[in-house]
Amino acid sequence: MKILCEREKLREALAVTTSVIPSKSTRPAVENVSMIATGDALELIGTDLDVAIRYRIEDVKTDEPGSVLVPARVAADFVRDLPAANGATVTMRTHGDNFIIESGEDSCELSTIDPDEYPDVASFDEADSVPVMAATFTRLVSRTGFAAAREAGRYAMHGILTQCENDELKLVATDGRRLAIASAALEADGVGPLQAIVPPKGMHLFCKVLDDPTERVRLQFGDSQFCLKTSKAEVFARLIDGEFPRYDAVVPASTENRMDADTATLTQKLKLVANVTSPDTRAVRMSLDKGQLTIFGRSLSTGEATAHMNVEFEGSPGMISFNPDYLLDGLKNCEGDTVCLEFNDKASPGKFTLGENYVYVVMPITVDI
Amino acid sequence: MSNPETRHPTRIAELSERVRNQIAAGEVVERPASVVKELVENALDAGASHVQVDLEEGGIRLVRVVDDGEGMGEGDLALAFTPHATSKLRDTEDLEHIASLGFRGEALASIGAVSAASILSRPRDAPTGHRIEDLWGAVGEVREAGGPKGTTVEVKDLFARLPARRRFLKRPSTELARCLDILQRLVVAHVGVGFTVTHGGKRVLDVEASMDRRERVRRLFGADLADALQPVDAEDGGTRLTGLLAPPRFGRSDTTRQMWFLNGRPLRDRVLLRALKEGYRGLSVENRQPVAFLELSMDPSRVDVNVSPTKSDVRFHEGRRMFGFLVSSIRAALAEADLATPGETMLRGLERRGAWSAPEQGVRQPYLPNPGARRIDSARPGGDELRVEEVRGAPFVPENLAPIIADGEPVTWERSDDLSGPYLRVDRTYILRALPDGFEIIDQHALHERVTFEEWKAQLAAGRIEIQRLLVPEIVELARSEVEALAEHMDGLGEIGVLLESFGRNSVALHGVPALLRHLDPPGLVRDLVHLASSHGKPPTAADLLGEVLHSMSCRSSFMAGDELSDADIEALLVRAREVGGAKTCPHGRPTRVRFTGMDLEKAFHRR
Repeated sequence: MKILCEREKLREALAVTTSVIPSKSTRPAVENVSMIATGDALELIGTDLDVAIRYRIEDVKTDEPGSVLVPARVAADFVRDLPAANGATVTMRTHGDNFIIESGEDSCELSTIDPDEYPDVASFDEADSVPVMAATFTRLVSRTGFAAAREAGRYAMHGILTQCENDELKLVATDGRRLAIASAALEADGVGPLQAIVPPKGMHLFCKVLDDPTERVRLQFGDSQFCLKTSKAEVFARLIDGEFPRYDAVVPASTENRMDADTATLTQKLKLVANVTSPDTRAVRMSLDKGQLTIFGRSLSTGEATAHMNVEFEGSPGMISFNPDYLLDGLKNCEGDTVCLEFNDKASPGKFTLGENYVYVVMPITVDI
Repeated sequence: MSNPETRHPTRIAELSERVRNQIAAGEVVERPASVVKELVENALDAGASHVQVDLEEGGIRLVRVVDDGEGMGEGDLALAFTPHATSKLRDTEDLEHIASLGFRGEALASIGAVSAASILSRPRDAPTGHRIEDLWGAVGEVREAGGPKGTTVEVKDLFARLPARRRFLKRPSTELARCLDILQRLVVAHVGVGFTVTHGGKRVLDVEASMDRRERVRRLFGADLADALQPVDAEDGGTRLTGLLAPPRFGRSDTTRQMWFLNGRPLRDRVLLRALKEGYRGLSVENRQPVAFLELSMDPSRVDVNVSPTKSDVRFHEGRRMFGFLVSSIRAALAEADLATPGETMLRGLERRGAWSAPEQGVRQPYLPNPGARRIDSARPGGDELRVEEVRGAPFVPENLAPIIADGEPVTWERSDDLSGPYLRVDRTYILRALPDGFEIIDQHALHERVTFEEWKAQLAAGRIEIQRLLVPEIVELARSEVEALAEHMDGLGEIGVLLESFGRNSVALHGVPALLRHLDPPGLVRDLVHLASSHGKPPTAADLLGEVLHSMSCRSSFMAGDELSDADIEALLVRAREVGGAKTCPHGRPTRVRFTGMDLEKAFHRR
């Protein structure tokens, strides 16, 4: 194999691909990046067996097609550090069992391994794929991803439920204590129903390749993988197997109490009070009465704090306690100037409306005194 | 047993005094160790300032106790071997406030009945002494005899004429060990009295009268233990608890180094042993007996010591209050103790593996401590307080193996320590952090577990357990019997923040968990609870269950070995650990951190 390509494009491609590749793996071949040179393109493939990426560089000059497995990190670092003075192009070629990267007067020679040892990475199948705007997809991911379970919890909760139903793309994530649901209209009609539970790692990689918000990308709901295709890259994520909690039952359909508060002020006051809550006391208490919200936090070791703010409140005076971190996570993503909290009583879920088609449900903390 | 002179009908006869004494002796005198105990206690009651104990063949052949106490005159000696003859008690009222060690008047008579015993005594102001013998119950005449001031009691050939009892004696080495156990307790109990013990002419124990309690422990059990002991001194309405507590890492499989003294009397009262265990609960690994040397001082009228002849059990008038006082005092003292495993212990482990060798004796170089390094001298007679003095520049060689801690009291720098990094992570499990002088290794899982546990206990104590409700109840399938076992404890579990509900016959629903448990795996938690509920043979008390559930739950919710922690995570954890105090072992009793001091490093590099 022998090709000539643009240094900047290659650097970018290697950086994205290498971010997937593990530095240590039980399968050493996976520590390499697979490069395949064809007609006028160079394809880079990286995987950690859970997620995989095919990244395409167009407009390369292929003197000799072929494929090679090169140590990913060294190759990426070498290309990254090439001085600009060396010119805008890089030549890569195989020489026996070695792989040579040259630019200007500088070069490096890397050892390679047999390309057959590389695991199979699927190709994107355009049939039945769903078109969506890149910006829409990244927005839904950032609105929900934070709520997915991390260390513990039911296995299925470690992923983000991605659904196509009723001409809507809907993403749902929960860790059993809070739940984020965000949806957006699909451009195409009559899609689905389709669904997949996608691990956050895959979602992050998807967002990483979506660098043009206006690009129309395609989603593929496979049996074992969820895939996304942009003009440059195809990304695959292995699905999480399992049953996602039945989240629709959790969102309260009707509530007795409703508070509308200024988002920025509420965020500020919550942060203020959360300063005294410590890991031994996670709760802040929100007391509501006649247009007034009182936020109170106390820690056994530190002390206590109280903050007041004006809100619109309909319902009977009462209180409900939450983990302030959970509320702040949600408020960070709130797009509107006001945020709405609806709840029935102090032991029932609190429903925050953080924007259009964006609901965040947080379970309260009850303190027995 | 029948009297041959009586004729047919009479079968019951009064026993001769001699036989009576031989039987009664069984209660007081079981083995040489009991002889040693009785005789030494007598010597102490006589105001001895030095007691010498000579043993032969584990005390079976000979127990000789020589004291320099008041001594006894001719008249006293004549009554010495008479049962219930005592100088320590006159009437029943005196029983109300017994301050002496012995009082029942049984000991000498019993001993005389089962051995060849003799007493040689000379009062302090008398020109000559007297001697009396009791050979197997036959008390001889008092004869004038020369001797040193004080009393010498010899007991020879214990049980030699009573084969049935002799058979129960063990090998001399075992009997010797028992004698020494008793003697060690007496030595630690009676600060101010010197002891010399020989066996077969060889000196096995030697303690000077001037040594304080810590010094005595050092002489008996080594400097490691003595230097690590944490003093305790607490008072509650006329009851005073003083003594020394060993950090949990010194725990043993036996209780030989658990010593309780009541007004100077060693005893093995069950309530006291339980108080000790309770005080160490959660700090000591299971099945490890804590090591402690504790003295209770109280008005003799508030305790009944006349419960059993061996005086090992006593009865406190306000037992419940006493128990609470003891447990809380012990816990408070332990919270002050430096429970981190010292680097020195680890060095020794390395030595055993051959990865390190101790500096050879004789090549010890005078070493120059850092300017401003401080030295702690605990060898100062008559005081448990550590003296800290500045040592400036000048080289010095440790005298008397007194501990040299280049850093003085840990407290001084711990206050100024901001717990900041840099941290070195090892194997995603251990964190190394530099200290002002030395470094420490932290087990992230153990420390986090402990911190969670302590915070949770604090919430519980404050009655403010925060419960995080779950969005969707976690349904956990179990065997029917397991559901039933759990059902009994659901109320109790609710109190500690676990909201469980039966959900059909074969499953339970988890509605809420303690808010502290952030990384909780609900099915795992429920399975742990089932295990705890069913592993108790008898219904566990709420307190038992609580303790165990807290342990296992804080373990479940903790950072695990293998979790990668950021610098901020680590610092936050260390700050929390400092806030909760006592976080020096994990709830399972493993240490949470190991500290290498400058001295350990100097040892490791053979600078000392």
